[in-house]
Amino acid sequence: MTRMFVDAWDPSYGSSFEGDGADGPGSSSSAQVDLDVEVPAAEWAPMDVSAGARVPDVVFLVDGVRRNDAGLWTAEEDGTTYAGLAASYAAGVVRCDLARGVAELAGARVSRGLFTASPSATDVQAGSVRYEVHRISGTGEASKLPAAVQGPLTALEIEISAAARDGGSDGTDLLIVDGPLRNRRQLPRTIGYVKTQQKHYLPAAQEAIVPRLRPGQRTPVFHLGTVWGGWSWYLRLPGSSGAPWSGIVRVECSPELSPDQAIELAGVSVATLPRFASSAYKDPRAPQNLVPIAGLERRLRGMLGDARVLHRALSLATSHGR
Amino acid sequence: MIPVSDETGSARGGKLNAQPDVGPVGRVLGTADATPLQFWTAVNPGSYLQLDDVVVTKRDLPDREPVTIAGVVTQVRARHEGAQFDSDVFAIADGTLPAMVQEAAEITTTRVDPELYVPPAPGAVVHRATGDARDAALHFDRMERRVPMGTGRDGVPVFLNADFLDGTRGAHVSISGISGVATKTSFATFLLYSVFRSGQLGADGTNARALIFNVKGEDLLFLDHPNTKLDDRTREAYALLGLPAAPFPDVRVYAPPRAGDSSGAPDVSSRLTGVDAFYWTLAEFCDTKLLPYVFADADDERQQYTMVVHSVTAHLNRYAVPAEGGISIDGKRISSYQDLVDHIVEQLTDDDTRSTWAGSAVNMGTVNAFARRLINSKRDLSRLIRGDLAQRRPHQIKTADSAQVTVVDLHNLPDRAQRFVVGVTLKTEFEEKEKSGTGRPLLFVVLDELNKYAPREGSSPIKEVLLDIAERGRSLGVILIGAQQTASEVERRIVTNSAIRVVGRLDPAEASRPEYGFLPPAMRQRALLARPGTMFVNQPDIPVPLCVEFPFPAWATRKSESGPPPAETLRSIVQGADPFAVVGGRSGADDDIPF
Repeated sequence: MTRMFVDAWDPSYGSSFEGDGADGPGSSSSAQVDLDVEVPAAEWAPMDVSAGARVPDVVFLVDGVRRNDAGLWTAEEDGTTYAGLAASYAAGVVRCDLARGVAELAGARVSRGLFTASPSATDVQAGSVRYEVHRISGTGEASKLPAAVQGPLTALEIEISAAARDGGSDGTDLLIVDGPLRNRRQLPRTIGYVKTQQKHYLPAAQEAIVPRLRPGQRTPVFHLGTVWGGWSWYLRLPGSSGAPWSGIVRVECSPELSPDQAIELAGVSVATLPRFASSAYKDPRAPQNLVPIAGLERRLRGMLGDARVLHRALSLATSHGR
Repeated sequence: MIPVSDETGSARGGKLNAQPDVGPVGRVLGTADATPLQFWTAVNPGSYLQLDDVVVTKRDLPDREPVTIAGVVTQVRARHEGAQFDSDVFAIADGTLPAMVQEAAEITTTRVDPELYVPPAPGAVVHRATGDARDAALHFDRMERRVPMGTGRDGVPVFLNADFLDGTRGAHVSISGISGVATKTSFATFLLYSVFRSGQLGADGTNARALIFNVKGEDLLFLDHPNTKLDDRTREAYALLGLPAAPFPDVRVYAPPRAGDSSGAPDVSSRLTGVDAFYWTLAEFCDTKLLPYVFADADDERQQYTMVVHSVTAHLNRYAVPAEGGISIDGKRISSYQDLVDHIVEQLTDDDTRSTWAGSAVNMGTVNAFARRLINSKRDLSRLIRGDLAQRRPHQIKTADSAQVTVVDLHNLPDRAQRFVVGVTLKTEFEEKEKSGTGRPLLFVVLDELNKYAPREGSSPIKEVLLDIAERGRSLGVILIGAQQTASEVERRIVTNSAIRVVGRLDPAEASRPEYGFLPPAMRQRALLARPGTMFVNQPDIPVPLCVEFPFPAWATRKSESGPPPAETLRSIVQGADPFAVVGGRSGADDDIPF
């Protein structure tokens, strides 16, 4: 009889692995994968924390949140109309000093933008809050606007994570970025942390290793040859439901690092991350949504301000402008 | 105005406060309602506010001067912001969950100036009030005469408005608290000391008299003895309050005569000098109608026998004739209280004489009820009502002829005798005051265990006297400083007539009673763990009770800590007051010459 597992994630967040398949990532990736980085492909097996693995005293975790405050429409002089999106977004860094037992917000920044393709749009001052205009190229259909927010948000995250380390870095700390690294790869000692598995990167033989991981174990490091690729590995966090792919996260680091550096980072990550895993009754995305990230997101959401107040302020501001 | 702003660390409201010397301690919260009478303040990281701290904030108004809102901290709380579950505290302590400790303080407004009751604006800067701002917040600046009563939690003096003590606008003090740790009597004596020595009441304070009933132990018998345990810190505390650290200068102590002792020597064991015996002669007993005070419930309408009490009193008043200390009635010489009781009972049980003593309509059962109670009183009162001691010898408690402080020692007396002494003494004093018709000099009466003398239920002659004092004493200059373990058991009219209410440590069940409604909830909880020497004082001027710490007494409270007695106490009152005393008795001879 087939064993069944209830996914730990709240259904509204989707699943920790998305796609048609019932056990594992959906679509296959066409990426070139180099499996022989750490161990030869044929000898792949779950790896424990190595005895000499270093756990950094200070871990930075970066995340951003965004919220659409209002959808707008412009009426141009020439009678055309463009869609607009007023969004608030914030990025922040948590500095977890594990030696001292202090987790604090090392930096947070809130920004608001008005995303539109309208050539004549200007900044909107809604009460005490200013929505800076971000002009989008192209036709600017309403459906494409939300994606446009990601760029400024990522920029904000990069800015804030660089600033967080200014305060003092001992050179051994670790920066964890929520989501793929993408254009944040230039940050030193940084790993990307991918919660949801949407693509098959590994060939079937090696992928079979992943469900066999026990909490606190990882796969060997492999190399992805895609545009945003780099060194990557899977690991399983504690507190998973027991389903084959539950509690599995993919971690990546910059392709500019040497294989040895990547392997070292993999060792550090598997020693560090399990400590941050959340528990199911507290977080709908447990265990992948890390405790500091969840706390950070709550703080950042609080900093975005009250959505209804902003919506009302925007309505007032735009009606005054008429 | 929109409660969302991108400005971080904005100086909203910062310019409003004109106190650059005192750093801000926080800002008014916006997540809880700010009202003109109560609001919450978020405390700045790195700062703190404790209960009873005095703070001040300002509110700008269009076209008007800014409103200053001052208050005291009545509650403080700290919590993790960013934590959702109780167990998050472990993740926070572990350093994995970012959270912030945020303290907030509830402020109860004490003063709004000018009187424009607007709430403080959320975000407004809150300062700790010091100096003049603190005095204004606690209304001390509006008190013309301020009697120091100790220091606040911040170590700065707090005052009592003398207008509410001397009868100008109010009078009477009610002190509640459990026995032993509440230090009710200590506070009462300290308050008296402050009235006498602070100079705030001017001539009234110097001329004022105090009548203190010592109900427990001999701790009030050494008021004029310096305290040998007085240290420099206590002296500094007195200096801070503007008071000399010294014992009461002018004290006279009265004690009942020793039981079974025919010489009438005072019954005290620890204080050996300067103690005088008090008693009543049989002639006084009959002449001033003291018989009702023998009975605890002599005015109770439900009791039949009270009729007999009053007719016997009237009979004694009319027919008793003084005779060499004792009295003569119906041709019989009576020289002791026992004899008097026996005589009355005999006359009442005799069918021939009963009607002349008790009236004709009294049945035998009622007479027996009276006789039973009267006979019971023999043992307790015979040492106080005497027919065997010289009449001329001064033996009455009279504050007008006595020292500034008169201490009446009752602790050796049984309950009935205590009631008799308190009732008769207060009645005499009050009648004197009524006769003189002036409210000056002031007379402070300190009486512990008020619940025994003026219980909420029932009626008695003593309770009537106390009620009289509570209701009319203000205009006659008789100020009652009453203490009790439980204000809920004291006659309500006495408690409500007290302008100043003081609470020390309270019993948990007692603290929840409506008599303590003047205490805010947090203070009520604190009263359960108040330390000795800490009192909560409520006065009509200030809407919030003040937490007061009063200094350790500068006078001895027991034999072991008493220094050498002052020279005057070595002289006896007998020499001091009796014009027929041995020649030279007043000139300062130090030995007690027996009369």
